Amino acid sequence: MNPSLATVKPILRPWAGKMTARERFLRQMNFQSFDRSFNMEFGYWDENYTEWKMFRENGIRTEEEANCFLAFDRIECVRGNVWIHPAFPRNETKKDGHCYCTDGNGVLCEILENGGSTIPRFLEPSVKTPEDWKRVKEERFRRDDPARIPDIEALKREFPDDRDYPLGVDAGSMIGKVRDMLTVEGLAYAMYDYPDMVEDMVETCCVLVEDFLDRVLPYFQFDYASSWEDICFKNGPLVTLDFFKNIVVPRYQRIRRKLNDAKVGLWWVDCDGDVRPLLPYFLKGGINCLFPYEVMGCTHPRTLLEEYPGELRIMGGFDKIHLAGGREAIRKYMESLIPCVERGGYIPFCDHRCPPNVPEDDYLYYLNIKQEIFGLKE
Amino acid sequence: MTDCNALKSAILRGKRAEVKTIVSAAIEAKEDVNMLIDQGMIPAMSEIGEKFSKGEAFVPELLIAARAMQTGLGLLEPLIAASGRQKKGKVAIGTVSGDLHDIGKNLVSIMLKGADYDVIDLGVNCDLAKFDAAVAQGAQIVACSSLLTTTMPFMKEVADHYRGTDVKVIIGGAPVTQEYCDQIGADGYSSDANSAVKLVDSLLAC
Repeated sequence: MNPSLATVKPILRPWAGKMTARERFLRQMNFQSFDRSFNMEFGYWDENYTEWKMFRENGIRTEEEANCFLAFDRIECVRGNVWIHPAFPRNETKKDGHCYCTDGNGVLCEILENGGSTIPRFLEPSVKTPEDWKRVKEERFRRDDPARIPDIEALKREFPDDRDYPLGVDAGSMIGKVRDMLTVEGLAYAMYDYPDMVEDMVETCCVLVEDFLDRVLPYFQFDYASSWEDICFKNGPLVTLDFFKNIVVPRYQRIRRKLNDAKVGLWWVDCDGDVRPLLPYFLKGGINCLFPYEVMGCTHPRTLLEEYPGELRIMGGFDKIHLAGGREAIRKYMESLIPCVERGGYIPFCDHRCPPNVPEDDYLYYLNIKQEIFGLKE
Repeated sequence: MTDCNALKSAILRGKRAEVKTIVSAAIEAKEDVNMLIDQGMIPAMSEIGEKFSKGEAFVPELLIAARAMQTGLGLLEPLIAASGRQKKGKVAIGTVSGDLHDIGKNLVSIMLKGADYDVIDLGVNCDLAKFDAAVAQGAQIVACSSLLTTTMPFMKEVADHYRGTDVKVIIGGAPVTQEYCDQIGADGYSSDANSAVKLVDSLLAC
Protein backbone atom coordinates (compact mmCIF):
# COMPACT_ATOMS: atom_id res chain seq x y z
CA MET A 1 0.00 0.00 0.00
CA ASN A 2 1.14 3.53 -0.76
CA PRO A 3 2.81 4.93 2.42
CA SER A 4 1.08 8.31 1.94
CA LEU A 5 -2.20 6.58 2.75
CA ALA A 6 -1.07 6.17 6.35
CA THR A 7 -1.76 9.87 6.90
CA VAL A 8 -5.32 9.69 5.53
CA LYS A 9 -7.97 9.85 8.25
CA PRO A 10 -11.18 8.23 6.94
CA ILE A 11 -14.41 10.15 7.48
CA LEU A 12 -16.53 7.05 7.02
CA ARG A 13 -16.32 3.67 8.71
CA PRO A 14 -15.75 0.60 6.55
CA TRP A 15 -19.00 -1.24 5.92
CA ALA A 16 -19.48 -4.12 8.32
CA GLY A 17 -19.12 -7.56 6.77
CA LYS A 18 -18.72 -11.25 7.38
CA MET A 19 -16.42 -12.03 4.47
CA THR A 20 -13.09 -10.74 3.31
CA ALA A 21 -13.20 -8.28 0.44
CA ARG A 22 -11.71 -10.95 -1.83
CA GLU A 23 -14.31 -13.59 -0.93
CA ARG A 24 -17.11 -11.09 -1.27
CA PHE A 25 -15.93 -9.82 -4.64
CA LEU A 26 -15.51 -13.28 -6.12
CA ARG A 27 -18.82 -14.59 -4.80
CA GLN A 28 -20.76 -11.49 -5.82
CA MET A 29 -19.34 -11.50 -9.33
CA ASN A 30 -19.96 -15.23 -9.73
CA PHE A 31 -23.66 -15.16 -8.86
CA GLN A 32 -23.09 -16.78 -5.45
CA SER A 33 -24.39 -15.62 -2.07
CA PHE A 34 -22.48 -12.81 -0.37
CA ASP A 35 -22.69 -10.96 2.94
CA ARG A 36 -23.18 -7.48 1.47
CA SER A 37 -22.29 -5.68 -1.73
CA PHE A 38 -18.67 -4.92 -2.52
CA ASN A 39 -18.17 -1.22 -1.72
CA MET A 40 -16.18 0.65 -4.34
CA GLU A 41 -16.28 3.67 -6.62
CA PHE A 42 -14.53 4.60 -9.87
CA GLY A 43 -13.00 7.89 -8.75
CA TYR A 44 -13.49 11.58 -9.38
CA TRP A 45 -12.71 14.38 -11.79
CA ASP A 46 -9.64 16.43 -10.89
CA GLU A 47 -11.92 19.37 -10.04
CA ASN A 48 -13.61 17.39 -7.24
CA TYR A 49 -10.34 17.38 -5.30
CA THR A 50 -10.27 21.18 -5.24
CA GLU A 51 -14.00 21.97 -5.22
CA TRP A 52 -15.26 19.47 -2.64
CA LYS A 53 -14.57 20.83 0.83
CA MET A 54 -14.13 17.37 2.40
CA PHE A 55 -11.32 16.55 -0.04
CA ARG A 56 -9.74 20.00 0.01
CA GLU A 57 -9.65 20.38 3.80
CA ASN A 58 -8.37 16.86 4.40
CA GLY A 59 -5.63 16.98 1.80
CA ILE A 60 -7.20 14.29 -0.41
CA ARG A 61 -5.69 14.64 -3.87
CA THR A 62 -5.77 11.21 -5.49
CA GLU A 63 -8.23 8.42 -6.12
CA GLU A 64 -6.20 6.11 -3.91
CA GLU A 65 -6.41 8.60 -1.05
CA ALA A 66 -10.13 9.14 -1.66
CA ASN A 67 -10.77 5.38 -1.56
CA CYS A 68 -9.07 5.23 1.84
CA PHE A 69 -10.78 8.45 3.04
CA LEU A 70 -14.23 7.06 2.22
CA ALA A 71 -13.34 3.59 3.54
CA PHE A 72 -14.09 1.61 0.39
CA ASP A 73 -13.24 -2.07 0.02
CA ARG A 74 -9.75 -2.56 -1.33
CA ILE A 75 -9.23 -3.78 -4.89
CA GLU A 76 -5.93 -3.79 -6.76
CA CYS A 77 -4.54 -4.56 -10.21
CA VAL A 78 -1.09 -5.47 -11.55
CA ARG A 79 -0.47 -3.24 -14.54
CA GLY A 80 1.70 -4.26 -17.48
CA ASN A 81 3.80 -2.31 -19.94
CA VAL A 82 1.74 -3.55 -22.87
CA TRP A 83 1.51 -0.54 -25.17
CA ILE A 84 3.85 2.03 -26.67
CA HIS A 85 7.28 2.26 -25.01
CA PRO A 86 8.93 4.66 -25.00
CA ALA A 87 5.99 7.00 -25.48
CA PHE A 88 6.33 10.00 -27.76
CA PRO A 89 7.64 13.03 -25.84
CA ARG A 90 4.90 15.49 -24.91
CA ASN A 91 5.35 18.89 -26.55
CA GLU A 92 3.05 21.81 -25.88
CA THR A 93 2.71 24.82 -28.17
CA LYS A 94 0.41 27.82 -28.52
CA LYS A 95 -0.83 29.27 -31.80
CA ASP A 96 -3.54 31.80 -32.58
CA GLY A 97 -4.93 31.64 -29.06
CA HIS A 98 -5.18 27.82 -29.06
CA CYS A 99 -3.07 25.34 -27.10
CA TYR A 100 -1.75 22.20 -28.75
CA CYS A 101 0.25 19.22 -27.60
CA THR A 102 1.65 16.02 -28.99
CA ASP A 103 0.49 13.20 -26.75
CA GLY A 104 2.27 9.97 -25.84
CA ASN A 105 0.84 8.25 -28.90
CA GLY A 106 2.28 10.92 -31.19
CA VAL A 107 -1.10 12.51 -31.89
CA LEU A 108 -1.31 16.28 -32.27
CA CYS A 109 -4.13 17.45 -29.99
CA GLU A 110 -5.85 20.68 -29.07
CA ILE A 111 -6.15 21.16 -25.32
CA LEU A 112 -7.77 23.76 -23.09
CA GLU A 113 -5.32 26.37 -21.82
CA ASN A 114 -6.89 26.43 -18.37
CA GLY A 115 -6.96 22.63 -18.06
CA GLY A 116 -10.44 21.28 -17.42
CA SER A 117 -11.53 17.68 -17.58
CA THR A 118 -12.56 17.46 -21.20
CA ILE A 119 -10.52 15.10 -23.31
CA PRO A 120 -8.26 16.73 -25.89
CA ARG A 121 -9.42 17.28 -29.46
CA PHE A 122 -7.41 14.81 -31.52
CA LEU A 123 -6.21 16.47 -34.70
CA GLU A 124 -3.41 14.69 -36.50
CA PRO A 125 -1.96 11.22 -35.89
CA SER A 126 1.68 10.49 -36.55
CA VAL A 127 0.76 7.03 -37.85
CA LYS A 128 -1.20 7.30 -41.09
CA THR A 129 0.42 4.82 -43.47
CA PRO A 130 1.98 1.34 -43.23
CA GLU A 131 5.41 2.99 -43.51
CA ASP A 132 4.65 5.17 -40.45
CA TRP A 133 3.50 2.12 -38.53
CA LYS A 134 6.55 0.06 -39.53
CA ARG A 135 8.84 2.77 -38.18
CA VAL A 136 6.90 3.34 -34.95
CA LYS A 137 6.57 -0.40 -34.35
CA GLU A 138 10.32 -0.91 -34.64
CA GLU A 139 11.07 2.03 -32.36
CA ARG A 140 8.34 1.81 -29.74
CA PHE A 141 6.65 -1.58 -29.77
CA ARG A 142 9.60 -3.92 -29.25
CA ARG A 143 8.69 -7.19 -27.57
CA ASP A 144 12.25 -7.51 -26.28
CA ASP A 145 12.21 -4.12 -24.57
CA PRO A 146 13.55 -4.82 -21.03
CA ALA A 147 11.06 -2.27 -19.66
CA ARG A 148 8.29 -4.73 -20.50
CA ILE A 149 9.55 -7.28 -17.98
CA PRO A 150 7.69 -6.99 -14.65
CA ASP A 151 9.57 -7.15 -11.34
CA ILE A 152 7.92 -10.27 -9.97
CA GLU A 153 9.68 -10.13 -6.59
CA ALA A 154 8.56 -6.55 -5.96
CA LEU A 155 5.03 -7.41 -7.02
CA LYS A 156 4.98 -10.42 -4.71
CA ARG A 157 5.98 -8.20 -1.83
CA GLU A 158 3.30 -5.68 -2.75
CA PHE A 159 0.58 -8.26 -3.31
CA PRO A 160 1.27 -11.27 -1.06
CA ASP A 161 -0.48 -14.60 -1.58
CA ASP A 162 -2.41 -14.27 1.67
CA ARG A 163 -4.03 -10.96 0.69
CA ASP A 164 -7.69 -10.53 1.61
CA TYR A 165 -8.62 -8.22 -1.28
CA PRO A 166 -9.17 -8.93 -5.00
CA LEU A 167 -6.18 -8.57 -7.30
CA GLY A 168 -6.51 -8.19 -11.05
CA VAL A 169 -4.19 -8.52 -14.00
CA ASP A 170 -3.88 -6.11 -16.90
CA ALA A 171 -5.19 -7.61 -20.14
CA GLY A 172 -4.48 -4.48 -22.15
CA SER A 173 -6.36 -3.20 -25.15
CA MET A 174 -6.73 -4.79 -28.57
CA ILE A 175 -8.32 -1.87 -30.44
CA GLY A 176 -8.97 1.10 -28.14
CA LYS A 177 -5.31 2.06 -27.98
CA VAL A 178 -5.03 1.62 -31.75
CA ARG A 179 -7.92 4.06 -32.05
CA ASP A 180 -6.06 6.42 -29.69
CA MET A 181 -3.03 6.26 -31.97
CA LEU A 182 -4.87 6.63 -35.30
CA THR A 183 -7.75 8.89 -34.11
CA VAL A 184 -11.39 7.96 -34.71
CA GLU A 185 -11.43 9.18 -38.29
CA GLY A 186 -7.96 7.77 -38.96
CA LEU A 187 -8.99 4.32 -37.77
CA ALA A 188 -12.18 4.40 -39.86
CA TYR A 189 -10.24 5.21 -43.01
CA ALA A 190 -7.34 2.87 -42.21
CA MET A 191 -9.71 -0.10 -41.85
CA TYR A 192 -10.59 0.43 -45.52
CA ASP A 193 -7.33 1.80 -46.90
CA TYR A 194 -4.78 -0.29 -44.95
CA PRO A 195 -6.54 -3.29 -43.40
CA ASP A 196 -3.31 -5.27 -43.07
CA MET A 197 -1.70 -2.43 -41.12
CA VAL A 198 -4.59 -2.21 -38.68
CA GLU A 199 -4.60 -5.97 -38.20
CA ASP A 200 -0.87 -5.88 -37.50
CA MET A 201 -1.46 -3.16 -34.91
CA VAL A 202 -4.09 -5.35 -33.20
CA GLU A 203 -1.78 -8.36 -33.39
CA THR A 204 1.00 -6.31 -31.81
CA CYS A 205 -1.29 -5.35 -28.94
CA CYS A 206 -2.17 -9.01 -28.50
CA VAL A 207 1.37 -10.39 -28.39
CA LEU A 208 2.47 -7.71 -25.92
CA VAL A 209 -0.40 -8.72 -23.60
CA GLU A 210 0.35 -12.42 -24.11
CA ASP A 211 4.01 -11.84 -23.24
CA PHE A 212 3.01 -9.98 -20.08
CA LEU A 213 0.52 -12.65 -19.03
CA ASP A 214 3.13 -15.36 -19.56
CA ARG A 215 5.42 -13.46 -17.21
CA VAL A 216 2.94 -12.86 -14.36
CA LEU A 217 0.25 -15.55 -14.44
CA PRO A 218 2.51 -18.30 -13.02
CA TYR A 219 3.24 -16.25 -9.90
CA PHE A 220 -0.18 -15.01 -8.77
CA GLN A 221 -3.73 -16.27 -8.39
CA PHE A 222 -5.49 -13.32 -9.94
CA ASP A 223 -9.17 -12.68 -9.27
CA TYR A 224 -9.97 -10.81 -12.46
CA ALA A 225 -8.49 -9.44 -15.68
CA SER A 226 -8.91 -5.84 -16.76
CA SER A 227 -9.06 -4.43 -20.28
CA TRP A 228 -9.74 -1.00 -21.71
CA GLU A 229 -11.21 -0.31 -25.13
CA ASP A 230 -13.51 2.76 -25.26
CA ILE A 231 -14.37 1.78 -28.83
CA CYS A 232 -18.02 2.89 -28.78
CA PHE A 233 -19.75 6.23 -28.56
CA LYS A 234 -23.41 7.12 -28.06
CA ASN A 235 -24.46 5.73 -31.45
CA GLY A 236 -22.51 2.50 -31.28
CA PRO A 237 -19.10 1.16 -32.27
CA LEU A 238 -16.29 3.18 -33.79
CA VAL A 239 -15.22 0.11 -35.80
CA THR A 240 -17.18 -2.03 -38.21
CA LEU A 241 -18.78 -5.15 -36.81
CA ASP A 242 -16.96 -7.30 -39.39
CA PHE A 243 -13.63 -5.89 -38.32
CA PHE A 244 -14.40 -6.44 -34.66
CA LYS A 245 -15.66 -9.98 -35.25
CA ASN A 246 -12.88 -11.10 -37.58
CA ILE A 247 -9.84 -9.23 -36.31
CA VAL A 248 -10.38 -8.33 -32.65
CA VAL A 249 -12.40 -11.27 -31.28
CA PRO A 250 -9.82 -13.96 -32.24
CA ARG A 251 -7.20 -12.02 -30.25
CA TYR A 252 -9.53 -11.84 -27.25
CA GLN A 253 -9.94 -15.60 -27.53
CA ARG A 254 -6.16 -16.07 -27.37
CA ILE A 255 -6.04 -13.99 -24.19
CA ARG A 256 -9.03 -15.87 -22.80
CA ARG A 257 -7.24 -19.22 -23.24
CA LYS A 258 -4.35 -17.98 -21.12
CA LEU A 259 -6.71 -16.63 -18.47
CA ASN A 260 -8.59 -19.94 -18.40
CA ASP A 261 -5.35 -21.85 -17.92
CA ALA A 262 -4.62 -19.59 -14.95
CA LYS A 263 -8.18 -19.99 -13.59
CA VAL A 264 -9.05 -16.32 -14.01
CA GLY A 265 -12.78 -16.30 -14.73
CA LEU A 266 -13.77 -12.67 -14.57
CA TRP A 267 -12.57 -10.37 -17.37
CA TRP A 268 -13.90 -6.85 -17.55
CA VAL A 269 -13.64 -4.25 -20.26
CA ASP A 270 -13.90 -0.51 -19.81
CA CYS A 271 -15.87 0.61 -22.86
CA ASP A 272 -18.12 3.67 -22.69
CA GLY A 273 -20.96 4.47 -25.08
CA ASP A 274 -23.52 2.16 -26.64
CA VAL A 275 -21.79 -1.22 -26.33
CA ARG A 276 -24.85 -3.27 -27.30
CA PRO A 277 -23.79 -4.02 -30.89
CA LEU A 278 -20.39 -5.28 -29.65
CA LEU A 279 -21.60 -7.11 -26.57
CA PRO A 280 -22.18 -10.51 -28.22
CA TYR A 281 -18.64 -10.32 -29.60
CA PHE A 282 -17.10 -9.33 -26.27
CA LEU A 283 -18.77 -12.38 -24.77
CA LYS A 284 -17.66 -14.59 -27.65
CA GLY A 285 -14.10 -13.38 -27.09
CA GLY A 286 -14.27 -14.25 -23.39
CA ILE A 287 -14.85 -10.81 -21.89
CA ASN A 288 -17.73 -11.26 -19.47
CA CYS A 289 -18.02 -8.00 -17.54
CA LEU A 290 -18.60 -4.32 -18.36
CA PHE A 291 -16.77 -1.83 -16.13
CA PRO A 292 -17.60 0.94 -15.19
CA TYR A 293 -20.68 0.40 -17.27
CA GLU A 294 -21.89 3.82 -18.48
CA VAL A 295 -25.66 4.24 -18.71
CA MET A 296 -26.02 7.38 -20.84
CA GLY A 297 -25.85 6.39 -24.48
CA CYS A 298 -26.75 2.80 -23.60
CA THR A 299 -29.38 1.46 -21.21
CA HIS A 300 -30.15 0.62 -17.59
CA PRO A 301 -27.84 -2.21 -16.41
CA ARG A 302 -30.85 -4.36 -15.53
CA THR A 303 -31.82 -4.56 -19.21
CA LEU A 304 -28.47 -6.04 -20.21
CA LEU A 305 -28.24 -8.37 -17.20
CA GLU A 306 -31.66 -9.75 -18.11
CA GLU A 307 -30.66 -10.13 -21.74
CA TYR A 308 -27.52 -12.13 -20.90
CA PRO A 309 -28.46 -13.95 -17.67
CA GLY A 310 -25.65 -15.77 -15.91
CA GLU A 311 -23.24 -14.76 -18.65
CA LEU A 312 -22.73 -11.02 -18.38
CA ARG A 313 -21.56 -9.20 -15.27
CA ILE A 314 -21.65 -5.44 -14.77
CA MET A 315 -19.79 -3.13 -12.43
CA GLY A 316 -20.81 0.53 -12.19
CA GLY A 317 -24.07 1.50 -13.85
CA PHE A 318 -25.25 4.18 -11.40
CA ASP A 319 -26.17 6.91 -13.89
CA LYS A 320 -24.18 10.06 -13.12
CA ILE A 321 -27.05 12.17 -14.44
CA HIS A 322 -29.19 10.88 -11.58
CA LEU A 323 -26.32 11.32 -9.14
CA ALA A 324 -26.40 15.03 -10.01
CA GLY A 325 -30.19 15.12 -9.93
CA GLY A 326 -30.76 15.57 -6.20
CA ARG A 327 -31.56 13.22 -3.33
CA GLU A 328 -34.88 11.95 -4.57
CA ALA A 329 -33.35 11.02 -7.92
CA ILE A 330 -30.43 9.33 -6.13
CA ARG A 331 -32.66 7.19 -3.93
CA LYS A 332 -34.96 6.27 -6.77
CA TYR A 333 -32.11 5.22 -9.03
CA MET A 334 -30.41 3.26 -6.23
CA GLU A 335 -33.66 1.38 -5.64
CA SER A 336 -33.83 0.55 -9.34
CA LEU A 337 -30.54 -1.32 -8.94
CA ILE A 338 -31.81 -3.66 -6.20
CA PRO A 339 -32.83 -6.44 -8.65
CA CYS A 340 -29.38 -6.28 -10.27
CA VAL A 341 -27.56 -6.72 -6.95
CA GLU A 342 -29.96 -9.46 -5.87
CA ARG A 343 -29.43 -11.31 -9.14
CA GLY A 344 -25.64 -11.29 -8.64
CA GLY A 345 -22.84 -10.50 -11.04
CA TYR A 346 -23.35 -6.82 -10.37
CA ILE A 347 -21.62 -4.22 -8.17
CA PRO A 348 -23.22 -0.75 -8.06
CA PHE A 349 -21.17 2.43 -8.29
CA CYS A 350 -21.12 5.65 -10.31
CA ASP A 351 -20.88 4.84 -13.99
CA HIS A 352 -17.70 6.83 -14.47
CA ARG A 353 -15.62 9.27 -12.48
CA CYS A 354 -17.97 11.35 -10.34
CA PRO A 355 -18.18 14.83 -11.92
CA PRO A 356 -17.89 18.07 -9.92
CA ASN A 357 -21.49 19.11 -10.64
CA VAL A 358 -22.53 16.58 -7.98
CA PRO A 359 -22.73 18.45 -4.64
CA GLU A 360 -20.52 16.72 -2.09
CA ASP A 361 -23.36 16.47 0.44
CA ASP A 362 -25.42 14.65 -2.17
CA TYR A 363 -22.47 12.37 -2.88
CA LEU A 364 -22.24 11.48 0.81
CA TYR A 365 -26.01 10.91 0.78
CA TYR A 366 -25.51 8.60 -2.21
CA LEU A 367 -22.87 6.60 -0.34
CA ASN A 368 -25.12 6.45 2.71
CA ILE A 369 -28.12 5.24 0.69
CA LYS A 370 -25.93 2.67 -1.00
CA GLN A 371 -24.91 1.29 2.38
CA GLU A 372 -28.48 1.41 3.66
CA ILE A 373 -29.72 -0.66 0.73
CA PHE A 374 -26.75 -2.86 -0.11
CA GLY A 375 -24.80 -2.97 3.18
CA LEU A 376 -24.85 -5.80 5.73
CA LYS A 377 -28.34 -6.55 7.03
CA GLU A 378 -28.14 -7.38 10.71
CA MET B 1 -26.35 9.04 -69.32
CA THR B 2 -24.84 8.56 -65.87
CA ASP B 3 -26.14 5.65 -63.84
CA CYS B 4 -26.98 7.47 -60.61
CA ASN B 5 -27.55 4.16 -58.85
CA ALA B 6 -23.96 3.19 -59.63
CA LEU B 7 -22.80 6.51 -58.20
CA LYS B 8 -24.91 5.97 -55.10
CA SER B 9 -23.60 2.43 -54.70
CA ALA B 10 -19.97 3.57 -55.05
CA ILE B 11 -20.50 6.20 -52.36
CA LEU B 12 -22.17 3.73 -50.01
CA ARG B 13 -19.21 1.38 -50.42
CA GLY B 14 -16.73 4.22 -49.93
CA LYS B 15 -15.15 3.61 -53.34
CA ARG B 16 -13.51 6.91 -54.15
CA ALA B 17 -11.92 5.76 -57.40
CA GLU B 18 -15.29 4.55 -58.73
CA VAL B 19 -16.92 7.84 -57.74
CA LYS B 20 -14.15 9.75 -59.49
CA THR B 21 -14.57 7.71 -62.67
CA ILE B 22 -18.35 8.11 -62.75
CA VAL B 23 -18.35 11.83 -61.95
CA SER B 24 -15.50 12.58 -64.37
CA ALA B 25 -17.35 10.81 -67.16
CA ALA B 26 -20.50 12.77 -66.33
CA ILE B 27 -18.59 16.05 -66.44
CA GLU B 28 -17.04 15.05 -69.76
CA ALA B 29 -20.53 14.33 -71.12
CA LYS B 30 -21.74 17.70 -69.80
CA GLU B 31 -24.48 16.10 -67.79
CA ASP B 32 -26.71 17.94 -65.34
CA VAL B 33 -24.83 18.54 -62.08
CA ASN B 34 -28.10 18.67 -60.13
CA MET B 35 -28.99 15.18 -61.31
CA LEU B 36 -25.71 13.76 -59.98
CA ILE B 37 -26.21 15.43 -56.62
CA ASP B 38 -29.95 14.92 -56.23
CA GLN B 39 -30.22 11.40 -57.63
CA GLY B 40 -26.82 9.94 -56.71
CA MET B 41 -25.06 11.69 -53.89
CA ILE B 42 -27.79 12.91 -51.54
CA PRO B 43 -29.73 9.61 -51.71
CA ALA B 44 -26.50 7.76 -50.83
CA MET B 45 -25.91 9.87 -47.75
CA SER B 46 -29.58 9.66 -46.87
CA GLU B 47 -29.47 5.85 -47.05
CA ILE B 48 -26.31 5.52 -44.94
CA GLY B 49 -27.84 7.99 -42.50
CA GLU B 50 -30.98 5.89 -42.16
CA LYS B 51 -28.88 2.78 -41.57
CA PHE B 52 -26.88 4.69 -38.98
CA SER B 53 -30.07 5.72 -37.19
CA LYS B 54 -31.26 2.11 -37.14
CA GLY B 55 -27.95 0.75 -35.87
CA GLU B 56 -27.32 -1.08 -39.15
CA ALA B 57 -24.27 1.03 -40.01
CA PHE B 58 -21.72 2.68 -37.76
CA VAL B 59 -19.23 5.52 -37.76
CA PRO B 60 -16.69 3.97 -40.19
CA GLU B 61 -19.32 3.29 -42.85
CA LEU B 62 -20.64 6.84 -42.46
CA LEU B 63 -17.16 8.36 -42.71
CA ILE B 64 -16.03 6.46 -45.78
CA ALA B 65 -19.30 7.21 -47.58
CA ALA B 66 -18.91 10.90 -46.77
CA ARG B 67 -15.30 10.82 -47.95
CA ALA B 68 -16.33 9.23 -51.24
CA MET B 69 -19.11 11.78 -51.73
CA GLN B 70 -16.65 14.58 -51.02
CA THR B 71 -14.42 13.23 -53.78
CA GLY B 72 -17.29 13.61 -56.22
CA LEU B 73 -18.35 17.01 -54.92
CA GLY B 74 -14.79 18.25 -55.19
CA LEU B 75 -14.83 17.48 -58.92
CA LEU B 76 -18.23 19.12 -59.32
CA GLU B 77 -17.43 22.27 -57.37
CA PRO B 78 -16.74 24.61 -60.32
CA LEU B 79 -19.88 23.37 -62.06
CA ILE B 80 -21.98 23.78 -58.93
CA ALA B 81 -20.85 27.39 -58.63
CA ALA B 82 -21.58 28.03 -62.31
CA SER B 83 -25.01 26.39 -62.12
CA GLY B 84 -26.20 28.80 -59.43
CA ARG B 85 -27.42 25.88 -57.36
CA GLN B 86 -28.66 27.06 -53.95
CA LYS B 87 -28.04 25.22 -50.69
CA LYS B 88 -31.03 24.23 -48.58
CA GLY B 89 -30.00 26.49 -45.74
CA LYS B 90 -27.11 27.53 -43.52
CA VAL B 91 -26.27 25.86 -40.20
CA ALA B 92 -23.60 26.84 -37.68
CA ILE B 93 -22.37 23.94 -35.57
CA GLY B 94 -19.98 23.75 -32.66
CA THR B 95 -19.11 21.95 -29.44
CA VAL B 96 -19.93 24.25 -26.54
CA SER B 97 -17.55 26.20 -24.35
CA GLY B 98 -15.31 24.10 -22.11
CA ASP B 99 -15.76 20.94 -24.18
CA LEU B 100 -13.36 19.61 -26.83
CA HIS B 101 -15.26 16.48 -27.85
CA ASP B 102 -15.97 16.54 -31.55
CA ILE B 103 -16.91 13.10 -32.92
CA GLY B 104 -20.66 13.67 -32.72
CA LYS B 105 -20.37 17.23 -33.92
CA ASN B 106 -18.30 16.15 -36.93
CA LEU B 107 -20.81 13.45 -37.87
CA VAL B 108 -23.71 15.90 -37.78
CA SER B 109 -21.66 18.31 -39.88
CA ILE B 110 -20.93 15.57 -42.42
CA MET B 111 -24.57 14.53 -42.68
CA LEU B 112 -25.80 18.11 -43.06
CA LYS B 113 -23.30 18.71 -45.87
CA GLY B 114 -24.41 15.44 -47.42
CA ALA B 115 -28.00 16.69 -47.30
CA ASP B 116 -27.00 19.84 -49.21
CA TYR B 117 -26.77 22.31 -46.33
CA ASP B 118 -24.16 25.03 -46.08
CA VAL B 119 -22.39 24.25 -42.80
CA ILE B 120 -20.24 26.63 -40.80
CA ASP B 121 -18.24 24.28 -38.57
CA LEU B 122 -17.09 26.39 -35.62
CA GLY B 123 -15.04 23.58 -34.10
CA VAL B 124 -14.90 23.03 -30.35
CA ASN B 125 -14.97 25.14 -27.17
CA CYS B 126 -17.38 27.62 -28.77
CA ASP B 127 -18.53 30.66 -26.86
CA LEU B 128 -21.46 32.93 -27.78
CA ALA B 129 -19.21 35.24 -29.79
CA LYS B 130 -18.35 32.38 -32.17
CA PHE B 131 -22.01 31.49 -32.66
CA ASP B 132 -22.88 35.17 -33.14
CA ALA B 133 -20.20 35.51 -35.83
CA ALA B 134 -21.74 32.59 -37.70
CA VAL B 135 -25.22 34.06 -37.36
CA ALA B 136 -23.84 37.30 -38.81
CA GLN B 137 -22.76 35.20 -41.82
CA GLY B 138 -26.34 34.06 -42.31
CA ALA B 139 -26.63 30.93 -40.20
CA GLN B 140 -30.32 30.21 -39.63
CA ILE B 141 -29.69 27.41 -37.17
CA VAL B 142 -27.17 27.10 -34.36
CA ALA B 143 -26.38 23.46 -33.53
CA CYS B 144 -24.70 22.85 -30.16
CA SER B 145 -22.95 19.66 -29.11
CA SER B 146 -21.82 18.63 -25.62
CA LEU B 147 -20.49 15.41 -24.16
CA LEU B 148 -19.99 16.51 -20.59
CA THR B 149 -22.63 16.96 -17.92
CA THR B 150 -20.59 19.93 -16.75
CA THR B 151 -20.69 21.73 -20.11
CA MET B 152 -24.35 21.03 -20.92
CA PRO B 153 -25.58 24.12 -19.02
CA PHE B 154 -23.90 26.33 -21.64
CA MET B 155 -26.54 25.11 -24.08
CA LYS B 156 -29.13 26.95 -21.99
CA GLU B 157 -27.10 30.14 -22.38
CA VAL B 158 -27.16 29.67 -26.13
CA ALA B 159 -30.90 28.95 -26.16
CA ASP B 160 -31.58 32.00 -23.97
CA HIS B 161 -29.32 34.16 -26.14
CA TYR B 162 -31.25 33.47 -29.35
CA ARG B 163 -34.74 33.28 -27.87
CA GLY B 164 -37.04 35.77 -29.60
CA THR B 165 -34.83 35.94 -32.71
CA ASP B 166 -35.19 34.13 -36.03
CA VAL B 167 -32.27 31.85 -35.15
CA LYS B 168 -33.20 28.32 -34.09
CA VAL B 169 -31.07 26.47 -31.54
CA ILE B 170 -30.75 22.69 -31.70
CA ILE B 171 -28.80 20.49 -29.31
CA GLY B 172 -27.30 17.01 -29.09
CA GLY B 173 -24.62 14.93 -27.38
CA ALA B 174 -24.35 11.85 -25.19
CA PRO B 175 -25.87 13.26 -21.98
CA VAL B 176 -28.45 15.42 -23.79
CA THR B 177 -32.10 14.35 -23.99
CA GLN B 178 -35.40 15.67 -25.33
CA GLU B 179 -36.34 16.33 -21.71
CA TYR B 180 -33.28 18.53 -21.27
CA CYS B 181 -34.08 20.30 -24.54
CA ASP B 182 -37.58 21.10 -23.29
CA GLN B 183 -36.20 22.18 -19.94
CA ILE B 184 -33.83 24.77 -21.41
CA GLY B 185 -36.21 25.88 -24.15
CA ALA B 186 -34.08 24.92 -27.15
CA ASP B 187 -35.85 24.54 -30.49
CA GLY B 188 -34.94 20.92 -31.03
CA TYR B 189 -32.93 17.87 -30.03
CA SER B 190 -31.65 14.99 -32.10
CA SER B 191 -30.23 11.72 -30.90
CA ASP B 192 -27.99 11.06 -33.89
CA ALA B 193 -26.52 12.66 -37.00
CA ASN B 194 -29.25 11.48 -39.34
CA SER B 195 -32.04 12.71 -37.09
CA ALA B 196 -30.28 16.06 -36.95
CA VAL B 197 -30.77 16.44 -40.69
CA LYS B 198 -34.49 15.68 -40.34
CA LEU B 199 -34.73 18.16 -37.49
CA VAL B 200 -33.08 20.90 -39.52
CA ASP B 201 -35.34 20.03 -42.49
CA SER B 202 -38.39 20.43 -40.29
CA LEU B 203 -37.23 23.66 -38.68
CA LEU B 204 -36.50 25.20 -42.05
CA ALA B 205 -39.60 23.52 -43.51
CA CYS B 206 -37.71 22.01 -46.43
